[in-house]
Amino acid sequence: MAIQHDAADPTRALSRRSFLKAGTAAGIAVKVSVLAPPAQARLMEASPSDGPAWAAPGRPRYRLDAVAKVTGSKTFSRDYRAKDLPGWPDRQAHALLIAATCADRRFTGLDLSRLPASLQPDRIVRHEDLVADGVAVPHADFFGDWFLVPQGETPRLLGQPVAILIFYDFPRFAAAKRALRFADDVVRFGEATGAKPPAHYGASRWVRIEGETPDAPDRFSPYEHSPIFAGFSGDKPAWPAPGQEGAFPKGMAAAAAIAAEIDGAGEDALVMRRTYRSQSTDASAMEADNGNVWYDPATGILHLMMATQSPYDVAEAAAGLVAKSRFPLKEVDLKVGYTVGYGTKDHHIFPFLCVVAALYADGRPVRLANDRFEQFQNGLKRHAFHMDTALLVDRASGRFRAMTGRYACDGGGRPNYSVAVSFVGATAAQSIYYLPKSDFQAIALASRAVEAGSTRGFGTLQTMSATEMLVDEAAALLRIDAIELRLRNVMRTGQRNSQGAVPAGALRNEEILHKAAAHPLWRERVARKVAYEAAHPGRRYGVGFAQVHKDYGTGAEAAVASLELDAQGRLRLRHVAHEMGPGVTTSQAAMVGEILGRVPSETEFGVVRWPEMPLHTTDQPYTTPQAEEDRRAQDPRWTPRFTSPMSATNSAYYLGHATRTAARFLADHAIWPAARSLWARGGKGGALASYNEITRDGLRLADGEVRGGGLPALSLAEVAAEAHRLGLAVGVTLHTFNRWQWAEAEFDLPGTGRTRLPIDALSLRYGAGAAPERRALMDTAGWHFLPRTAAFYPPTQRNNVGTTYYSPMATLAEVAVDTASGEVTILSHHSILECGRQIVPALVSGQVQGGLAMGIGHALKEVLPLYEDGPGDGTWNWNRYELPRARDVAPWNQTVEILPPLSETDPPKGIAEVVMIAVVPALANAVAHAIGHRFHDLPIRPERIREALA
Amino acid sequence: MSAAIEIRDLTLRVNGEPVGPIPVPVGTSLLDVLHEWLGLTGSRMGCGQGICHACTVMLDEETGPREMRTCITGAHWFEGKSIRTVEGHARTEPDGTVVLSPVQQAFVENFAFQCGYCTPGFVTGASVLIETLKRKPVRRDEVERVVTDALDPHICRCTGYVRYHQAVRDLVLATPGLTIA
Repeated sequence: MAIQHDAADPTRALSRRSFLKAGTAAGIAVKVSVLAPPAQARLMEASPSDGPAWAAPGRPRYRLDAVAKVTGSKTFSRDYRAKDLPGWPDRQAHALLIAATCADRRFTGLDLSRLPASLQPDRIVRHEDLVADGVAVPHADFFGDWFLVPQGETPRLLGQPVAILIFYDFPRFAAAKRALRFADDVVRFGEATGAKPPAHYGASRWVRIEGETPDAPDRFSPYEHSPIFAGFSGDKPAWPAPGQEGAFPKGMAAAAAIAAEIDGAGEDALVMRRTYRSQSTDASAMEADNGNVWYDPATGILHLMMATQSPYDVAEAAAGLVAKSRFPLKEVDLKVGYTVGYGTKDHHIFPFLCVVAALYADGRPVRLANDRFEQFQNGLKRHAFHMDTALLVDRASGRFRAMTGRYACDGGGRPNYSVAVSFVGATAAQSIYYLPKSDFQAIALASRAVEAGSTRGFGTLQTMSATEMLVDEAAALLRIDAIELRLRNVMRTGQRNSQGAVPAGALRNEEILHKAAAHPLWRERVARKVAYEAAHPGRRYGVGFAQVHKDYGTGAEAAVASLELDAQGRLRLRHVAHEMGPGVTTSQAAMVGEILGRVPSETEFGVVRWPEMPLHTTDQPYTTPQAEEDRRAQDPRWTPRFTSPMSATNSAYYLGHATRTAARFLADHAIWPAARSLWARGGKGGALASYNEITRDGLRLADGEVRGGGLPALSLAEVAAEAHRLGLAVGVTLHTFNRWQWAEAEFDLPGTGRTRLPIDALSLRYGAGAAPERRALMDTAGWHFLPRTAAFYPPTQRNNVGTTYYSPMATLAEVAVDTASGEVTILSHHSILECGRQIVPALVSGQVQGGLAMGIGHALKEVLPLYEDGPGDGTWNWNRYELPRARDVAPWNQTVEILPPLSETDPPKGIAEVVMIAVVPALANAVAHAIGHRFHDLPIRPERIREALA
Repeated sequence: MSAAIEIRDLTLRVNGEPVGPIPVPVGTSLLDVLHEWLGLTGSRMGCGQGICHACTVMLDEETGPREMRTCITGAHWFEGKSIRTVEGHARTEPDGTVVLSPVQQAFVENFAFQCGYCTPGFVTGASVLIETLKRKPVRRDEVERVVTDALDPHICRCTGYVRYHQAVRDLVLATPGLTIA
């Protein structure tokens, strides 16, 4: 295969999880909402029979969604049929996709003769219909060029649909589906053409050579200079030539110097070159992809009920899709229920296939819901990686001199996030180590495989696992304790990452390494191995360790939150965040409780209509040049991005920043002045006059009371009443933006003056006692939108840093390997996590336990062939794709230690992805300890162990 | 309706209430009947192969309840039988208060689930275990094994199983009559 295409647009590759929004046609209203549950399920905000949901502010007794979920109420998008959706017709039509299971021959036609006349579909949708009607894939450079394979063309990828069949009733749909399942004569193929995947997706290279001193500029780094971008020559990146002019040639010269140093290393250094492979997997979210769409031609309204992690983007792209077609469109009304995807429902073509089905259903609501075979066939996969690594270690000191890696991922047949996954993986490859010199290539290849996309870990699971296996093996070759070698090389606070950026906050990897080294599993592993193997003939014992830290966020995180204090002291929280399973609705409310001493009595999540926040966005946060951003930032209603999908482990830190800032704003600007006013009662300064040493920092808000400075406790209710009487800011809505640093802005706050806040837009609502002229300011949907007087956006150069926010986790795994069967039994495991300040410990430990299970599956069980025998053939299900069950994860023998925060003001960190990674290489290292063989390919299944032992 | 589809009436009890006779195509799974005919979507489609147990319901028999996989069991197999779905475990008081079953309460208090898609199956599996233990109590030192035996067929992708297991273990140990010394 020789595919040549132009050099990748350098700026395009920089967007980590960027997504170019539709230029939605003018005049189309786009509404998005989280579906209000029916009365039966409205319990999600209520408490069960034996007490309130909150033990104390900040300490929930239950998840706020617990009752709805445990009683089987309709909560998931998948649970809703047309008759459950207000205003929809009662009758539900059903659709199914007919998929190509061959991607190297021309598609010649559909043969539905297996179906008797009575089971023939009511409507068949083909590519040619879409062309005739102007229906095209939105963002073809992301979602691929075809919805359905054109007749006479070779499918781009295995499992690509060739037609949509629509049935107006369920019994015929179900019967037809049974008749067509697994049939190999429904999709007809002709001439062999060879595979016809798209052009390869992109290549970037992240080269760094440190400067003379730790504070000196790097000799070369992505942050200081630039990442290097390339097109392809055949299947290989066509890297620029080295030179001394321009960032790319200079970077290539630096890469050449690193390669020469490794090639020319002498006896005083260990050079390790290893190739690792990480397999394709299916995240196997229990709720398979689904959508229910009703296009009403009479009104021109497109109604959607969709399982997606990115509802706002789906709504906008759906609007663009229909608007460009012959189908009239006035409004898009998207509803989402709860869903779960581990990233795989963040930007996928599936929702748009649902929209296409609806356009051809003659005004009927159509449900397109994957069964598990179909989910394997068309759901987003985790990228398979091929990784060629080299590590140069100084033998005397054990210090790493340099590391290089060529990380090539197979993105399958649609572009999706493959470029971003490739470089997020490559920039994470350094794991927890400081590297004086590094050269990491990120290569995103196209193929006929089922497409890969955003999946928990986003490329870093693959690359960091390889590094942690590499370092473990290096320690063995150097005869240095594997944790000791890590300690000699661990990245410390203030050191730069492989992009040349200093990570945020304190790096506590060293502390974790010391704890792991002192753990009995590690300290006693040699003696335990002897004892175990003596007591268990035929079984080999091993302990493995690994430690990683994982970025969280995307480099363009935006959120809106609103918090209001009523005159009775009750709080109302509204937020763009919506629930994906980790408990965001509970944790955001808990944050308010921690800061204000009372949890909101009313919450609303998934809010996307913010009339009081009249912002507009170009939504090109990664690619807008500095000069243009500076110019746009002068407009106080402009923001680089309005809101982010629920992804990239962004809820605790990034979405929480909006919540925390709103809560602190009310504390500063409503509660504090109102409390002072009450404490000053009695004339001449009152009790405060003689006891006036209290500052804002001395204020204590807890248990619904306001205290501090030796002054009498006030109830939040009386303080709130006073704040309203004084006309203070009792409601705040704010917008936040982070580009590996928070945007800040100055606002001229009434009564306070110019104030700098870590937000870029602000609206206030004043209490009833506000003066008429202040009340008159509330002219934006009842709020006072305060144009910022100055904006301080993080420089666009920070787009080059890859990441600065990390959460670390280490795992010690204890295994026994059966030498006859090759089965690996996990005897126990212990993990150590640092996550800043925990918001809800029960939710954190649940995330850790779940991540560990998913990592165990990746290390030992789950694997999909990429091509002809893989999931695109429509025969894969959990009978042959083995998921970890309870017995596989040592449910009774696992422990987690969470480092206490350094102070009570530490922010919470995002952990949802890092928690699944360390266990993967820890298990590989444990197997190596057990049987003396190092596997470089995952997963380590019993048959491979049997081969190794043979 | 199509001639290619044979229809037969179905009558059963669901959560204590009589259902039917309703005309249902022969070969329809009970899961599809719950979803498409009865609007009860709490029992979840996971694999459609009987692997993940997200779809299970309690089948009440004289010898006690059994856990049945509704995605691979035809609806007409349940003709005349009585089942309990996840929607039938809690009760609502006249004042609107929801009284959860002990298993549901234990899951809620232990933050046992995250996305909650598999939760109905775990509620069913754990409830069958509790009722089985009422008839055949086990030694306290066997509880962890018994809990794992009962719940191991259920797949969960979010939680790593730990909190589900702990919730059921603690409930069994705290409920008089389920264990012997």
